[in-house]
Amino acid sequence: MAFLGQEQQVREYQDRFKYLNAGLAIAFSILLLQLLNLQILQGDSLKVASEENRIKRVKIAAPRGMIFDRTGKLLLDNRPAFDLEVIPQYLKESKRIEETIAIVSRITKTPPAEIRKILLRAKHQPAYLPIKIKTDLSRDEVAELKSWQIAMPGVSVEMEIKRTNVYGDLASHMLGYIGEVNATELPILQKTATRRYKLGDSIGKFGLEQKMEDTLRGEDGEEWVEVDALGRRKLEKYRGRFLAENQGKSAIPGRNLTLTVDQDLQAAAAKAFGEKVGSVVAIDPNTGEILAMLSRPSFDPTEFSRGIPAELWKRLLENENKPLRDKTIMDHYSPGSVFKTITAIAGLQEKVIDEHTKFHCSGSLRLGNRVYHCWKKEGHGEVDVVNAITKSCDVFFYRVAQKLKSVDDIASWAFHLGLGKKTDINLPRETSGLIPTEAWKMKRIGQEWTAGETLSVAIGQSYVLTTALQLANTYASIANGGTFFRPFLIKKITTVDGELVKDFSPEVLDQTRLDPKTYELIQKGLWGVVNTPNGTAFAQRLPGMDFVGKTGTVQVMSLAANKIYQKCENMKFRQRHHGMFAGFAPMHDPKIAVAVIAEHACHGSSGAAPIARAVIKTYLEKYFPERYGEKALEVQGKAGTIGVFPIRADVEDEDVVPGIQNSSMHDDDDEPVAPQPQIKRTED
Amino acid sequence: MQYTSMEMEDFRPRVGMAEEDLRKFNWNLLILQTILFGIGIWNLISASGAQDKSFGLYKTQLIWFAIGLCMTAVVLLFHYSLLSRLAYIIYFANIILLVLVLVAGKSTLGAKRWVGFGSLRIQPSEFMKISMVLCMAKYFESDRTVGGYGFRDLILPGLLLAVPVGLIILQPDLGTALILIFTFCSMLLFLGVRTRTLAIIGICGALAAPMVYQFGLKDYQRQRLISFVDPSSDMRGSNYNRRQSQVAIGSGQLLGKGYKKGTQSQLNFLPEHHTDFIFAVFSEEHGFMGCTILLVIYLVFLTQGLSVAYTSNDKFAMLVSLGICMIYFWHTFVNMAMVMGLLPVVGVPLPFLSYGGSALITSMLGVAILTNIANKKLMF
Repeated sequence: MAFLGQEQQVREYQDRFKYLNAGLAIAFSILLLQLLNLQILQGDSLKVASEENRIKRVKIAAPRGMIFDRTGKLLLDNRPAFDLEVIPQYLKESKRIEETIAIVSRITKTPPAEIRKILLRAKHQPAYLPIKIKTDLSRDEVAELKSWQIAMPGVSVEMEIKRTNVYGDLASHMLGYIGEVNATELPILQKTATRRYKLGDSIGKFGLEQKMEDTLRGEDGEEWVEVDALGRRKLEKYRGRFLAENQGKSAIPGRNLTLTVDQDLQAAAAKAFGEKVGSVVAIDPNTGEILAMLSRPSFDPTEFSRGIPAELWKRLLENENKPLRDKTIMDHYSPGSVFKTITAIAGLQEKVIDEHTKFHCSGSLRLGNRVYHCWKKEGHGEVDVVNAITKSCDVFFYRVAQKLKSVDDIASWAFHLGLGKKTDINLPRETSGLIPTEAWKMKRIGQEWTAGETLSVAIGQSYVLTTALQLANTYASIANGGTFFRPFLIKKITTVDGELVKDFSPEVLDQTRLDPKTYELIQKGLWGVVNTPNGTAFAQRLPGMDFVGKTGTVQVMSLAANKIYQKCENMKFRQRHHGMFAGFAPMHDPKIAVAVIAEHACHGSSGAAPIARAVIKTYLEKYFPERYGEKALEVQGKAGTIGVFPIRADVEDEDVVPGIQNSSMHDDDDEPVAPQPQIKRTED
Repeated sequence: MQYTSMEMEDFRPRVGMAEEDLRKFNWNLLILQTILFGIGIWNLISASGAQDKSFGLYKTQLIWFAIGLCMTAVVLLFHYSLLSRLAYIIYFANIILLVLVLVAGKSTLGAKRWVGFGSLRIQPSEFMKISMVLCMAKYFESDRTVGGYGFRDLILPGLLLAVPVGLIILQPDLGTALILIFTFCSMLLFLGVRTRTLAIIGICGALAAPMVYQFGLKDYQRQRLISFVDPSSDMRGSNYNRRQSQVAIGSGQLLGKGYKKGTQSQLNFLPEHHTDFIFAVFSEEHGFMGCTILLVIYLVFLTQGLSVAYTSNDKFAMLVSLGICMIYFWHTFVNMAMVMGLLPVVGVPLPFLSYGGSALITSMLGVAILTNIANKKLMF
C-alpha cells in the first residue's frame, strides 16, 4: 500500500471536511434544541406527567357502622377475615413453586391439584396481581401460614373486613346486606347520592344497610403510594425514597345504630316459627317501637358480605318460599278474620250496632241471588258483638256491613288505625297494602261498588290487603285505645366513640280515640278469643298475662264449593290457607302488640297464634318480671284472678264458662266463606 | 512526520516504545472513550438498580470493557495497513457470521441477532459496521475517478452494501441496517457522487418508499411509523415508549432529579432503559446541564475522530477513520433523536452508554483503529 501521492490525494479531500463539520454542528444543534424544548420549555408539565405516573392514590375503606339491639347487644359487626393470597410473579421468582404449594396445601388442607387449578385459572391476568387461594382462614391456619411466610415468597395472608351478622339468619331482612355498586346502579347513584361511588364500592342493598347507607357508611380515607410501571406498590425498603411530602387522610368510621328490637325476642320468635314460612312483627303500643321483626325463611347476610357466591344466590332466588323477601313489609295479604275487629270498631263507632245488638247466624246470609256463608256450616245462633269477635262469626259482620252506610265507613276506621298506607318505617321496599273505598274502585277499576263487596270487606276479604307490620301496628293502636304511632326501628345513632348523634322519639300519626264503650267491647271480644273455650285461640292463652287477640285463616285460592270444607292439611302445601294472628298483652296497660302471618299454616289458631304467644311471653317475662315472672304469676294464680275477664267481676257471658265445648273445636277455627270475589295474596 | 515506504513494509510488532514516543502518543480518543464509558457505567449502575431484568448488568458491561481493552492493545500492536490487506477477508468472514446467525442464531424477542460460541454470545451485525467501512475504504482506496461517481461505479459498492443489509434485515434488525446504509451513503457523498446520479437515486428512492412501506416492513415497524406521524393514534402501544421517554427527559428539567432518583427509570416506566433508552435515564437524572455536557463530550469525541481522518496520510486511513466517525455519529444522532421523540423508535444503541457487549466492543475497536491511525508515524 502507501502509494506515492496518497498524501496529495488526501489533501484533495481535506476541504470537504468543512461540510462534515457543518453537518455535525447542525445535527447537534437539533439535539440541543429538542433538549431545550423538552427539559426547559415543557419541563414543568412533563415533570407533572412523571409524578402522575408513579404516585397513585389508594383508598382506605372506612369501616361501616355497627348495629346493636335495644339492650346493647351487637347484631351486625365488622370482623376481620383472613385470606390466603399468592402473587404468581414472586412465586415464580422464588423458584420454590412445588415446595410452596406443598406447604400451603398441608396447612389449608387443600389438595395441591386444587391450588394449581386456581393458579392456572388466573393465568391470563398480569403476574403481579394477587390471586386468592382460600378465603376465611381459621386462626390456626393464619398462625401457621405466618410462621412459614419467610420460606414462601409470594404467599401472604391478607386481612379484609367482613360484615358479620352475629346471629346468623336472625333479623337478616331487617339488617339487610351490602353489595358492590354495579354498572346499572352507578348512573342513578351519581345523580342522587350525597357521596361519590365507584364501581365495586360497597353499598347497602337491602334493609337497614340500604336505608341507612349514608349513616352507616363512613368516609373513606386515602393514602398516596408509589407504584412502578406494573402498578406494584414499592416494597418498604424502596419507599420513602421519593415519597415523603404526601400525607394521606385517615378513614372516618360510619355511625353506629342502636335499634328498638330485642335480640332475645327475635330469637324466641324464630324458635317459635321453626320451619314455618311467614313473618312476625312485635311493637310497643305506647311508643311505636318495633320490638321484633322477623321474616322466615331467611338467609345469612354474612355469606353475602364479600360477594355472593352465584350458586347460593341462585338457590335463594329459586326457593319458592322466597327467603330474600322481607315478608313483614314487602308482602301484603288478605287479613281475613283479623280484620273483623276493624269492622266491629266501625260498626260501634258509627253507632249502627251497640253492645245489645244481636244477629242470628244460620250459617249463611243471602244477598240478592248470592249466598254468603259463615265458616261454621251449622251457624252460631244468636250472637252479639263480643261473641261475634270471639267466635269469629262471619254472618254477624255481614250484617254490620249491611247496616253501615257504605264500605267507606269501614275504610275510614281502617285508615285511622294505620292500614292502607305505608307506615314509613326505616326500611326500604315497604308496600302500602290496600283498603278499598268506593272512590278507589271507581278510579282503579272503573266500576260501581257493590253491596256484596262490602260484605267481603267486612271479613277482611275482597280487595283488602295488609302487611304484617300494618297489622301489628293496627292492633297496637287498638291496644292503646286509638293512638297510631309511626313504627320505628332505630332508637339512636351514635358515633364510633359512643357520642350521641341523634335519638328518635315516638311520633303520633293519628289520634282518633275510640269511645270507651267501643274500647271495652273490643277488648272483651279479643279477650274471649284467647281466654274462653269458645274462642278460636283458647289453646294459646297465657294465664295471668291477659293475652288477647284475633285469629284469621285466609284461603290462598278460590276453591270449588265441594272443597270449601276440605281439611286443609290434606291439600298441597302451596294451596293451604294462611294462618294469621294479631293481638296484644296485657289487655289493660298493654306492653306489646304482635302480628303473625304464617303462610300455608292452615289455621290462625294453631299456625300463627303460638308464635305470638311465645313472643309475648318472652317479652313480658324479660321486661316485667315483678308482675309477669313465673313467681309473680304463681301468687296471682292463688288469688284466683286468672282466667276471668279482668274488668268485670260478674261474668254473665255463657262463653266464659269453661269446659262446655270440646277441645277439638279449636281446630275448626274461622273459615272464610265460599267462592266469593277475593284477592289472592299477591306476589309482586 | 516523515516516513519511508521501507519502514511501512515492516509489519512485525515492536514491543516497547521509546519514552519520547509515549509522550507524543495521541491519547485523545482513548481518554474520551474512557470518559464516555465512565459516564456510561456510572449511569448504568443507576439504570440497572431497578427491580427488573436489567438488575446488576453493569458488572457484565465492565467485563466487556476489559475484553475491549485487551482487543485495543492487540489492534495497537499492528500497523493499520494490515487492515487494508485483510479488509475483504474480514468482510467476507463477517458475512459468513451473519449467515450463521440466520441459520443457527439465538433469538431474543423474536429477532435472531446472536451467535454463540460456548457461553460467549456475539452480535455479528454490530461488527459488520466496521467490516463494511474497511471494505469500502479498501474498494475506493485506489480509485481515482474524477468529478464524482456515476451509476456504473456504484453497482459493485451497492452490492457490497446490499448483501449485509439484506442479511441483517432478515434477522430482523432494522436499526443496524439503517446505520450501515447511512454510513455507506455518508462515505459515498464524501467521496463525491455526480449530481445527476444523486438526483435519479433520490427520485427512485422516493418512488420506492411506498413499496417498501407496504411490503418491506413488518407490522410493528409500520405501526411505529404511523404512531410517529400521528402520536395520538396509539397511546398505549408504540407511542407509550416514546411518550414515557419524553416524560423522562423533560421531567429532568434544568438540573435533573439527581443520581439514582429518576422515577421514570427506577420504577420501570421507561422501557429498555438500560439499552436503547439509556440516554433518557441520564437526562432524567442530570437534566439539561448534564445533557449539554454529555453532548459536548460526544461532539469533541467526533471532531477528534474527524481530525484523525483529516490528518491521515493515505486514502485508506482517511476513509476508514471517516467511516468509523460516521458510525459513531449516526449512532449518537439517531439514538438521541429517537429517544427525544424526533425520530420513530428504532433499535439503535448509544455508543459507550447503552448496555450491550458487541456494541461496546465494536465502539472500542473503532477507537482502537482511530488511535492506531492517529499514531502511525510514532509507532512504526
